[in-house]
Amino acid sequence: MNEATAQSLGPLGRIQRRVFEVLDGAVMDRTSKIVEIFIASLVVANVVAIILESVQSLHDQYEQFFHVFDTFSVIVFSIEYVLRVWSYGRKYLGTEPGLAWKGRKEYLFSMFGLVDFFSTVPFYLQLFMPGADLRVLRMFRLLRIFKLSRYNSAMDDMFEAIKSERDSFSSALFLLLISCLLFSSLIYIIEGHDQPEVFPSIPAAMHWFVLTIISGWGNVDPVTYFGVALVVATQILAIALAAILTGVVATAYTAQVQRRESLYEMEVREVLADGVVSEEEKQKLKTLQAKFGMSDEQVEAIARQVETEKKPRD
Amino acid sequence: MEVLDGSPKHAISRYVEWLITIVVLVNCSAVILDSIPEVHADYKDFFHELEFWSVMFFTLEYVLRVWSLGVKFAANEGGAWKGRKGYIFSPFGLIDFFATMPFYMHVFFPTLDLRILRVLRLLRILKLSKYNTALQDLFTAVNSERRAFGSAAFLLVIATIVSASLMHFAEGHEQPQHFGSIPHSIYWAIVTITAGYGNVEPVTKAGEIIALLTGFLGVCMAAIMTGIVASAFSNQMSRKKAAYQSQLRQVLSDGVVTDAERESLRRLQQQFRLSDAQVQAMIDEHNAEQAS
Repeated sequence: MNEATAQSLGPLGRIQRRVFEVLDGAVMDRTSKIVEIFIASLVVANVVAIILESVQSLHDQYEQFFHVFDTFSVIVFSIEYVLRVWSYGRKYLGTEPGLAWKGRKEYLFSMFGLVDFFSTVPFYLQLFMPGADLRVLRMFRLLRIFKLSRYNSAMDDMFEAIKSERDSFSSALFLLLISCLLFSSLIYIIEGHDQPEVFPSIPAAMHWFVLTIISGWGNVDPVTYFGVALVVATQILAIALAAILTGVVATAYTAQVQRRESLYEMEVREVLADGVVSEEEKQKLKTLQAKFGMSDEQVEAIARQVETEKKPRD
Repeated sequence: MEVLDGSPKHAISRYVEWLITIVVLVNCSAVILDSIPEVHADYKDFFHELEFWSVMFFTLEYVLRVWSLGVKFAANEGGAWKGRKGYIFSPFGLIDFFATMPFYMHVFFPTLDLRILRVLRLLRILKLSKYNTALQDLFTAVNSERRAFGSAAFLLVIATIVSASLMHFAEGHEQPQHFGSIPHSIYWAIVTITAGYGNVEPVTKAGEIIALLTGFLGVCMAAIMTGIVASAFSNQMSRKKAAYQSQLRQVLSDGVVTDAERESLRRLQQQFRLSDAQVQAMIDEHNAEQAS
């Protein structure tokens, strides 16, 4: 936070902004790293506790401990949630009214905001309504594992790569949907009379179709010749679908890496344009490299290429 | 040192490489054959002799390597021990050490479990990877995409835990022998993700849906992993091509190609394993650019 904005906020606002910076973690410093590690380890410990608690013998032996730990985590996560809602009001610096709630609303209805809410709040419900079903509560507790994805920047990369190829993905899914409808109706028509116990309805045939797609064999042997042809076609479709999905993912990743390399190359070119590489520029390149997760080798190759391209012009 | 390291291609260096490769292969076949009881009974003495002489051979190799790598760096670059330490703690150094050393331990502590020693003997096959540059390529490619792999692994862990827990909540009461606890159903989830539809039939409707989704997720995970590897390889290839191209451009820029330059280009081509056709295409492209 620079000095000018710091002056305009006042003491409380400054604390608020600072809390936002620490929790948001966009600019990494010591405090925000410590907070991040603390929350992430608490989440991991929580998930381990949920898993261990489901073992009956451990549950009986350490019930007290699990309960205390759960209460402690709920308190920590509640504090985190309240602090986030409060401090995200200072996400946008400015004086217009309504700006504070813009940041808050963005957080509240973001995926992370919803995860934070639903993984914590149901526990207060239990206090008020002791009769609630425990299994549902446990399922909500499991949501805490998704809090981790906030700290995994590579996950964002993956979703970004997939998003940029969403047309191909949706066409693959569309193909799957169409063939699911077509093949399961066909198998129902052809084999429904001969094997009424396995294909009593189209939804049951759909179940068979999905099974065949994911594991190669749907637990049913066809009895008619058409049925055999259909099963074979479905199995081939399963292989084709796997190949299509793989190809799309591969393309998405390659495109992403190339996009980043050319972005980085542009930056290097800009830095080298005036012939001098200042400390600040070096730092900037380092940050970009870290953000893109590029290896030193890649960076070196790019720098070398830019340099050799410059030479003939000199 | 140059003979063992194999960096400049001498004839002797190649012979030594071949010799070590053959001894390693013979050793591994011996370990495999030795595990058949009848063969073991008939040729026990022969295997014992073979083991003794190959351990001697590998020990000699190890000692020579440690001794000779002392001259890898000049005295002002860190001295004799820098090169040695670099080798001893490299993966290859550790493999060389652990593939040989257990034999001596057996001599000093005769009560040790023989099975562990036999498994360590199989480590010798990893010595071969030193001579396989394609394998090293594979590691670099995977290493450059380690973030993508990390996120895929993260996704896998989350998916396993979530689907196992949901299955436990849905079917824990109906099939306590399979889904009685979450660790128990994690096994089911892993089987379903890796091998397709799992070893246990769900009995509830919710369980059925979870099982199908988990199986479908397995297909997606396989696609993601394969996709990342494919993309890593293709990116590595294009990086190599670009590096070679810039080298080529530099050589051709002054219009004269000296013998030294040709030699260095040829070596680079071999190192990057580019085919002659690819190189020719690059030269043509450059010529076309010059002409225009």
